[in-house]
Amino acid sequence: MTGQQSTETAASPPARGLHRLVVLALCLVWPLIWVGGLVTTYDAGMAVPDWPGTYGYNLFLYPYKTWLLGPFDLFIEHGHRLLGAVVGIVAIAIVVVAYLRDPRRWVFFLSLGLLAAVIFQGCLGGMRVVLGDRTLAMVHGCVGPAFFALCAVTAVVTSRMWWREPSEEDAKARPIGYPLVGLIASLLAISYVQLVLGAQIRHVQPTTPPSQFTMTVAQHVMTALLLWVLSLLASWRLWRCGDLTLSRPGLVLVGLVTLQTVLGVATWVVNYGWPGFVGQVPSSSGYLIQAKGFVDSIIVTAHVAVGSLILAVSTMLVARILRVRGRRRQAQGVHDDVLATSNESLSPSAALSH
Amino acid sequence: MRQSVAIADSGFSRFNSLMFRVESTARSKSDLSGPKRACLLLASFLFALIGCDARIEQFEPNRVFTLALAKSRSIPTEPASEDVSQSLEVLFGTPNEPQWPEQLLAEEGTEDLVDVERLRRAAGPVSSGKDGTHRGLFREHCVVCHALEGSGAGPASQFQDPYPRDFRHGVFKWKRTVRGAKPTKQDLRDLLTRGVPGTGMPSFALLSPDDLDALVDYVIYLSVRGETERRLLVGAVDELDYGDTVPEDDFRIRYPADSEGAGLIEDTVVRVAGQWDAAESRLVEVPEPPDLDAEEMAASIERGKKFFHGQIANCVGCHGASGNGAVVILDYDDWTKDYTTRLGLTPSDREAMQPFRDVGALRPRPIKPRNLQKGVFRGGGGGPDLYCRITQGIAGTPMPAVSVVDQANGKGLTAAQIWDLVHYVQSLGRE
Ligand code: HEC
Ligand code: HEC
Repeated sequence: MTGQQSTETAASPPARGLHRLVVLALCLVWPLIWVGGLVTTYDAGMAVPDWPGTYGYNLFLYPYKTWLLGPFDLFIEHGHRLLGAVVGIVAIAIVVVAYLRDPRRWVFFLSLGLLAAVIFQGCLGGMRVVLGDRTLAMVHGCVGPAFFALCAVTAVVTSRMWWREPSEEDAKARPIGYPLVGLIASLLAISYVQLVLGAQIRHVQPTTPPSQFTMTVAQHVMTALLLWVLSLLASWRLWRCGDLTLSRPGLVLVGLVTLQTVLGVATWVVNYGWPGFVGQVPSSSGYLIQAKGFVDSIIVTAHVAVGSLILAVSTMLVARILRVRGRRRQAQGVHDDVLATSNESLSPSAALSH
Repeated sequence: MRQSVAIADSGFSRFNSLMFRVESTARSKSDLSGPKRACLLLASFLFALIGCDARIEQFEPNRVFTLALAKSRSIPTEPASEDVSQSLEVLFGTPNEPQWPEQLLAEEGTEDLVDVERLRRAAGPVSSGKDGTHRGLFREHCVVCHALEGSGAGPASQFQDPYPRDFRHGVFKWKRTVRGAKPTKQDLRDLLTRGVPGTGMPSFALLSPDDLDALVDYVIYLSVRGETERRLLVGAVDELDYGDTVPEDDFRIRYPADSEGAGLIEDTVVRVAGQWDAAESRLVEVPEPPDLDAEEMAASIERGKKFFHGQIANCVGCHGASGNGAVVILDYDDWTKDYTTRLGLTPSDREAMQPFRDVGALRPRPIKPRNLQKGVFRGGGGGPDLYCRITQGIAGTPMPAVSVVDQANGKGLTAAQIWDLVHYVQSLGRE
């Protein structure tokens, strides 16, 4: 490869098909999280008591009419399983294509990790059903977004952005320091913590003491504020990096966290009503909670789905910023730290040379 | 050191019971093929790593009341509490397997108060069947607020004002029966359908009628169970000589047995269930509302306004001028008074409250008379609803009853005058 001369043109990734497959997985997993969220919102997790089959049928052979025309619970629970299985198949395809097409061994291992994660997640879901266990339902709900984030990483490393060669511009661009990388990484970590806190609220045990629940809620609210401030800060710093692959997701993140905060308040209100201290909100004194209302269920589930989207976007940002940072350092001839060297060895020209 | 051993031990036993569950589920599906079994096994190991649900095997005893009783009688109540819990389990079963003391109640003909099948459907963990019917309804819909025992101290209770109802007192606010009586089944049905606006209590109108019936029965079950518990505790201490130690066998709270103690249990259960059974016969008699044209209505509202601010009804004393809710009464509801003022304790005294908080009591919060100008009625805003509210007051709260008299005198209001008051209250919300 003679990328050295043509610094301006983007090198085309060797496995476009792989990237497309990963994007397909991403596009399937988000709806999968939605449907999974609906299953919990409607307490339909136990609508199909057996697993891996559905009422004795093989998953794919369950009569589609009974499925589509049956009760809503069965519809979403079986639908969730079907969609999950499709994601599993896509994951297998990703492994195969990564093995055949992508020159980087670690990408192959990453894809294997992806497949292992789907299987793990499927088993968790299955055990949750077989044992009828709520704690497992919570863990299942936390692993889902983590898998989604893993898909996001895979999408970044197979994208065109990853393969772009260092350019003149990179040489002139402002270097990216540890503080910014740290900021984005903490955003990722905190958004996951936030997600786990949320899952604890959602899957509260009947015997949880009120004080513990109150504490979890308080933490969830405080973490939300923290995330919002951090995402604003991050977005501002990313904007100054002058790289669209960073600044755009940065803005999206702020938007998502803001949306998520609104959804969070709404989720609380449709479940537990207006808390006493906001007595001043007009008409809050007459607010009536509607159990299992349709719009309410959508709000609650959207809160879950947007949470995982925030996680995925911040994961994507971490992957991208490490890459951009490495590229700039490479272009500027800095090789002295671990990140740069590790990025170096990931660089396409290095990978393609063996 | 000992502690860590204990933890490891409990972890181990949890793992064992888990493996047993996995195996038994595997066995019950005899056609498990190799890969499936491998999957189950793999997953069960993961499961053992992660942990599982807190197990729910028993109802918690009413610790707050046990403590309150100990304070009021200056006597230890733990021995009584233990015996009472055991007998209750014999009579009423557990959160997963509820029972109903049918035989005992059959003598009085009140065994049909609730349907055991419905109780089973409402109890236990959440699941749903092929036809879409849900089981474990109480845990699906109510437990986050009302708690397993119906104590009203569920996980989300601290966020509610008013707190979720403690069913164990057997006292309910929003009903059409006289103040001291239980609500009818229809009252509870209406309540679940309507919800309680302005509080955490949701409307369950979207649930199927069968689900609602099951929930109503389950509320009655929890209430009968909880009230029996309270009364038995009192009986044990006051009548059966429970104290530091348990009394001799004949006076012990044990069921079934042929003893004084068992007799007390029988009487108590029969009495509490009997009150629920009698609810139908204790409906408030609501006279036909007068048929008024616009002008007469305006006059009626004007008269109602006078009663509202007048000496007899004196609604203004709590609800403020024109019902604006601007009066501070610093009073508490009966559920709170039970472990505070009735024991001579000040609810705002944190130190005095601490022992109760430690056993699960919620922090006392004053009850606020409603701002009637908002037009929000928690028990329904219809004429008959408000007629009941005014003539009975609101059970469990400081809101007093206005007595209905035949002839206007200084002590009460006539039915027609009550209607005037109803019209005035209704008019407040419309402004
Ligand atoms: C989000 C919290 C919440 C949930 C969920 C909830 N409740 Fe309530 N419930 C309350 C509150 C708060 C009150 C007290 C209302 C008041 O004092 O006016 C209450 C009151 C009640 C009462 C007493 C009404 C009266 O007349 O005194 C009953 C009975 C009741 N709930 C039954 C249920 C049942 C059955 C369910 C489940 C199907 C349920 N609740 C779910 C919060 C809740
Ligand atoms: C001792 C104080 C007191 C007096 C006197 C009093 N109320 Fe109340 N009232 C209350 C309290 C406290 C509540 C709130 C009860 C609750 O929601 O738990 C209340 C609630 C109400 C409600 C709301 C019922 C609902 O469905 O939400 C109405 C209507 C009402 N009062 C009317 C009256 C009228 C009419 C009078 C005069 C006849 C009156 N009150 C006298 C204390 C009082």
